[in-house]
Amino acid sequence: MGLSTRQFPELEGPLGEGETLPKGTVLQKRYKILDVLGIGGMSVVYQAQDTRFPKVTKLCAVKEMINSAPDLRLRELAVQAFEREANVMAVLDHPALPKISDYFSEGNRSYLVMDYIPGRNLGTVLEESPDFLPEEQIIGWGIDLCDMLDYLHTLKPQPVIFRDIKPENIMLLPQGRIMLIDFGIAKVFQPDQKGTMIGTEGYSPPEQYRGVAEPRGDLYALGATLHHLLTKRDPRLEPPFSFEERPVRAINPGVSESLETIVMKALQYDIDKRFSSAKEMKLALMALTALYSETSEFSSDAVGTIALTRSSDSVLAVWNFACEDEVRSSPIVSDGVLYVGAYDHNLWALDAKSGEFRWKYATEGGIASTPCIYKNTVIVGSEDRVLYAVSADQGRIVWSCPTNGRIRSSPREEFEHVFFGSDDSYLYAVSAQSGRVAWRFQALKEIRSTPAVEGEDIYFGSDDGHLYALSIQGGKRRWQFRISRGVMSSPVVFEGLVYVGGMDNNLYAIDARYGSAAWRYRTGGRVISSPAVSPELGIVYVGSSDGIVYAVDANSGRLVWKFAGEDQMNSNPTIHEGAVYIGSRDGHLYTLDAKSGDLRWKFKTKGKVFSSPAIYEGMVYIGSTDHHIYALPV
Amino acid sequence: MSFFRRLFGQEAEPEVPDVVIPTDELIDHGPTLVVGGATHIGQVRKRNEDAYFVLEATLARDGESFPFGFFLVADGMGGHKGGQLASSLTSRVVVETVLREFYLPWLGSDTENTRPQRPINEVIIEAANEANLVVHRSAPPEAGTTLTCVLIQGTNAYIAHVGDSRAYLIRQGRLEQITKDHSLLARLIELGQISPEEAASHPQRNVLYKAIGQGSTLDVDFYLKSLPANSFLLICSDGLWGAVSGDRMAAIVKEASSPQDACHQLVREANAQGGEDNITVVLAQIKG
Repeated sequence: MGLSTRQFPELEGPLGEGETLPKGTVLQKRYKILDVLGIGGMSVVYQAQDTRFPKVTKLCAVKEMINSAPDLRLRELAVQAFEREANVMAVLDHPALPKISDYFSEGNRSYLVMDYIPGRNLGTVLEESPDFLPEEQIIGWGIDLCDMLDYLHTLKPQPVIFRDIKPENIMLLPQGRIMLIDFGIAKVFQPDQKGTMIGTEGYSPPEQYRGVAEPRGDLYALGATLHHLLTKRDPRLEPPFSFEERPVRAINPGVSESLETIVMKALQYDIDKRFSSAKEMKLALMALTALYSETSEFSSDAVGTIALTRSSDSVLAVWNFACEDEVRSSPIVSDGVLYVGAYDHNLWALDAKSGEFRWKYATEGGIASTPCIYKNTVIVGSEDRVLYAVSADQGRIVWSCPTNGRIRSSPREEFEHVFFGSDDSYLYAVSAQSGRVAWRFQALKEIRSTPAVEGEDIYFGSDDGHLYALSIQGGKRRWQFRISRGVMSSPVVFEGLVYVGGMDNNLYAIDARYGSAAWRYRTGGRVISSPAVSPELGIVYVGSSDGIVYAVDANSGRLVWKFAGEDQMNSNPTIHEGAVYIGSRDGHLYTLDAKSGDLRWKFKTKGKVFSSPAIYEGMVYIGSTDHHIYALPV
Repeated sequence: MSFFRRLFGQEAEPEVPDVVIPTDELIDHGPTLVVGGATHIGQVRKRNEDAYFVLEATLARDGESFPFGFFLVADGMGGHKGGQLASSLTSRVVVETVLREFYLPWLGSDTENTRPQRPINEVIIEAANEANLVVHRSAPPEAGTTLTCVLIQGTNAYIAHVGDSRAYLIRQGRLEQITKDHSLLARLIELGQISPEEAASHPQRNVLYKAIGQGSTLDVDFYLKSLPANSFLLICSDGLWGAVSGDRMAAIVKEASSPQDACHQLVREANAQGGEDNITVVLAQIKG
């Protein structure tokens, strides 16, 4: 049994193994020692037989304290504390508390005799259970413990504060009842430790460390105990006071929201935000059992307010426009005009405010790539293998650049040049004015990732399983980084790192200069979506085919939050004023709080949303496979 | 449209002029790294349970050279020889893994395939967890160690951290603590329960809630820091930061003639303040 995970490095303890009473020792000519039940910091608990009852084996527990502290004052303190414990316990009368029957001293050892409690402690119960324990059972224990704490906290003339509630101090009796053991005598002594040691108490409330002991501290420890029982996560192995970072349901989704609310309320860091008394907490737990049996005679108000922070309110589109086929590419807005390609072969130009049709330009294939703007031309690639530049005002062809493969990579304009990939495996650099090819670079397979240009380098992925970095002058390869199963996601560069999604399910952060990976974060599906970085929050956002949007710390690669939609998230997130906008195959455009991941609102189209949102002057624009372009208020 | 296609033809082999881009900076010769390190038993303890490791190198690749460094400080704890064992085992396990995965690949002759392929965070965190298991297996149960290590590649520093040793960035004479102490008191201070003054005399001031050697899965902190030109990265055990104030450390680093000189002076200063614990420090200067 784990009495305690605390480790005392320098403690050549006052009680070594050899110093416990040998079996068969009889104390006070009455209590025959049978076994050692546990060894604590300064005390030992034995199982003993009360020989006054010769015909039956009446068992009792004998708690021993040895006054072997080196310093006289400490020794006196220890005795006083032990006597205090004996005196407190002698008058207690509650079914969840053991009865004390005797108190005496022999030599330099003092003894307390109490009921022997058969059974296992909750720490052992938890360890031995392969699965989560049933919620109803834990609620039942919680109610019994609250009832017992209510008794202790309302004792006259003085309330008793237990100070050491934890699973190891709670026994589960064979009949299913629970009982509190061990009135934390060791807690009174906190000898000044020399040398560093590992491990914290885990269940104690923060105020206890500045010497404050009050009834609501026991509620915190009870909350911590319930948290451990529900999640199987030992708080002694976690940073102290970090429960709010580990909400119960995040670890054990089977727990009801109401119970989580109660546990987290007891664990409030601020004393005044916890339940005001054990009684109040007991009523809240009882209301839950009432909800369970659905004989709702208790008002659920006692549970506290369970706020529904997630609104599922839909917004209304300002306008929508029907193209002639699916819209899978993303719109772009410039000078009040929205440009978008569709599977109907057309590049469309619409008035961004009203949705009114301006012009369309027909290519000979569907358009899956997103246009870019260069001065007064709109540039877009088509399935017909050609990159087109058409005039922004009238949609007339300015130049075109043929390739030998379908163009699904979106063009990027920098330094008067347009960079894009093609299914013919080449990355092209063409003059933005004439469409003339300046250079091209051959990968081993299709390039569908949209290049990112940063400084003198250009970064893009290929289906051949690499992310490439080329020098923008001449297209000479600087490095390549292997990502098995290829890269369809488009890289973004932020503070010396290239962020990109891989078909191997990972989001990568790669050193832009040397091409070695700083970190990767594993999602549950292929990452086709292209990451977006919030410089203010230092967070990188990406969608995954597992239907989840991930927010990951840009520097450490640690998860900040995630949000689950109903289907694949392959659209690229867009960040705007503290919100993340992303489309999903489930038909929605989701708007999430960039910091917390909370849903702000969502909008449902009648098709799938692979298109990535564009934001312009208070509006967000999105395309859907239902053929429509939607304009929504931000 | 078809006019253009005819013009270029399907298989048109394009001419290849260079893209001309505006460039306002000359090609630089890259940053360099100068490193110092020192350890000392202090004035009170009977043994030095700290371990440290320093490697600095200049690597060249594709006609470009860049600095590479790996530094580590581990502060062992837990009576007798347990602490020493824990810190030295940890140092060996972590250094071996990191050099195998991130140093040796740069030295290969095959430029395509010998670049480090695995993400740095994964490898360092894995190495720390490996050390955690080895220490748990081979050292006494109460033994453990802190671990703060830094891999420098170019101007990026990748830091892995467990316990209460620290990494600082020093620039323009100002000291910024990068790592977070995994101690009970740091947590209480962070949450406003006690003041730093109260912490100095708190009975539980030496309690860590996380260290190498506990056995179960270890949650290792990972940081990436871009190092500005002419800045310093300092890692040390609590024998230094517990004895010498941050301002004083920054001042010594600024005045010293070299990183090595600074390390000696920092150790001397900690000893002058009582030297209650083992003192270990590694200082790396990034010259722009």
